[in-house]
Amino acid sequence: MTISKKHLVGTTGLLISVLSIPLLTTSMAFAADAGNAVAEGKDLAFDRKKGNCLSCHMIEDGASPGNIAPPLIAMKARFPDKAKLRAQIWDATAANPDSPMPPFGKHQVISDAELDKIVEYVWTL
Amino acid sequence: MRKTKYLGILVLAFILVGGIGCATASSDKMSSMKTEMTADDATAAIAAADAARKKAGSVSGEWRDTGKIIGEAEEAAKAGDFAKAVKLANKAKVQGERGYEQMVSQEKLRLPSYFK
Amino acid sequence: MKKIVLMTTALLMVVGFSNAVMASPEEDRQIFLNFYKERFPNVPQDDYINGVYAIDPVGRENWEAIEEFPPYETAIDAGKSMWDTAFANGKTYSDCFPDGPAIMSKYPHWNKEKGSVITLPLALNACREANGEKPLKYNKGAIANIVSYIAYESRDQVTNVVIPKDDPRALEAYEMGKKFYFTKRGQLNFSCANCHLQNVGMVLRTEILGPAVGQTTHWPVYRSKWGEMGTLHRRFKGCNEQVRAKAFKPHGEEYRNLEYFLTYQSNNLPLNGPGARK
Repeated sequence: MTISKKHLVGTTGLLISVLSIPLLTTSMAFAADAGNAVAEGKDLAFDRKKGNCLSCHMIEDGASPGNIAPPLIAMKARFPDKAKLRAQIWDATAANPDSPMPPFGKHQVISDAELDKIVEYVWTL
Repeated sequence: MRKTKYLGILVLAFILVGGIGCATASSDKMSSMKTEMTADDATAAIAAADAARKKAGSVSGEWRDTGKIIGEAEEAAKAGDFAKAVKLANKAKVQGERGYEQMVSQEKLRLPSYFK
Repeated sequence: MKKIVLMTTALLMVVGFSNAVMASPEEDRQIFLNFYKERFPNVPQDDYINGVYAIDPVGRENWEAIEEFPPYETAIDAGKSMWDTAFANGKTYSDCFPDGPAIMSKYPHWNKEKGSVITLPLALNACREANGEKPLKYNKGAIANIVSYIAYESRDQVTNVVIPKDDPRALEAYEMGKKFYFTKRGQLNFSCANCHLQNVGMVLRTEILGPAVGQTTHWPVYRSKWGEMGTLHRRFKGCNEQVRAKAFKPHGEEYRNLEYFLTYQSNNLPLNGPGARK
């Protein structure tokens, strides 16, 4: 049995495409994850037992917000560096000891994974 | 003839892909085997959590839910779920440590800038 | 010459130190008053006895409607019958409190023999125990009833917390209450001052944060959220738990000193308990 060049190309192509199915689905899943992170971050931000951001901050479509802290708008302009935004939610008193904002990360009010999602969401505001 | 060849390759490819999947699954199982928790692990983690809670309490820094979380860890351990027990106990331990640090860092009264 | 320089320096250091660290209770009270005056320039000082309704005109309308049929009236009546009913040994509360029942303005006070702040509920329970009765639980129920009666009979007395100079431990207790007030606690890391000073008048979700001055004048309170009467220390507990701190024992040292400090800030304000709140 001899395998022609044509054959080889054909089968390799097939193999690659078959093998790449899982690869493709993972990269699609990554894209979906980013979208999910924002959506999940919003749920966490609004959850009274988690971020509970609305307690003090006004946020676009959030119902009955508090007014203790600045409204969450233009976040990319206010925090060009996403890591700074994360640090602020992790422990706001590090930058300003008089800040009344709970240290959500440091005191584990939310987990690190939850904090990442909230950051993704808040950065879209 | 050609068709069977393609079929053969397809089957091979699926076996290959499936095999990788299986291999990952079994290696997952292996790693969880390594970290499986015993009753002793749970007992030790709960004791450490309770010590951290008491240390926080000694400086009036105990948090609301720490005792409750330790209770949940004890329940999980009783039910034989030692992994859950350790996880909960570790969470409570961190609460105790943070509560202690929180009070120690404020040992000296620092009046806020708005109180003037 | 050298001596004079040295003495002046020492004197300056002492003055500087005392200015930085120790404000007198009276200076603290002025800081509180000025703070609120700056933030709410149109609120007359005596109106602070109405708590958050001094600064919340919408909430005040609802509250005034509630006050037309006060939900704390049954508590006052129940408290009066407690006051009038003899203990098993034939004695009454009047035997412990000959000036009673209008004794609200005498509490909290410093007790030199005991070396501690004495609150009214502590004194009431001490009276009960001296007469062979069981002490009352501190947060609600019978204690809230009898304190409601005493508060009602004491209306229009004036808050008058004294920090006696002849026992330095009294000022220490006040200072400990002050430290408690400014200490961030709980998983959420809030101090009393974060809400009731720094962010007073702001909205937390749907609740307006009330001022510290006047906060102690109107207890016990019928709170709609509770659906019953509760004491000041029950509210302390609620505040601490809201910031996810473990609450302290009612009338234990922490809350006694906090009451001493907090009530001092309402000095000269009329007593108007019991009260009603949302």
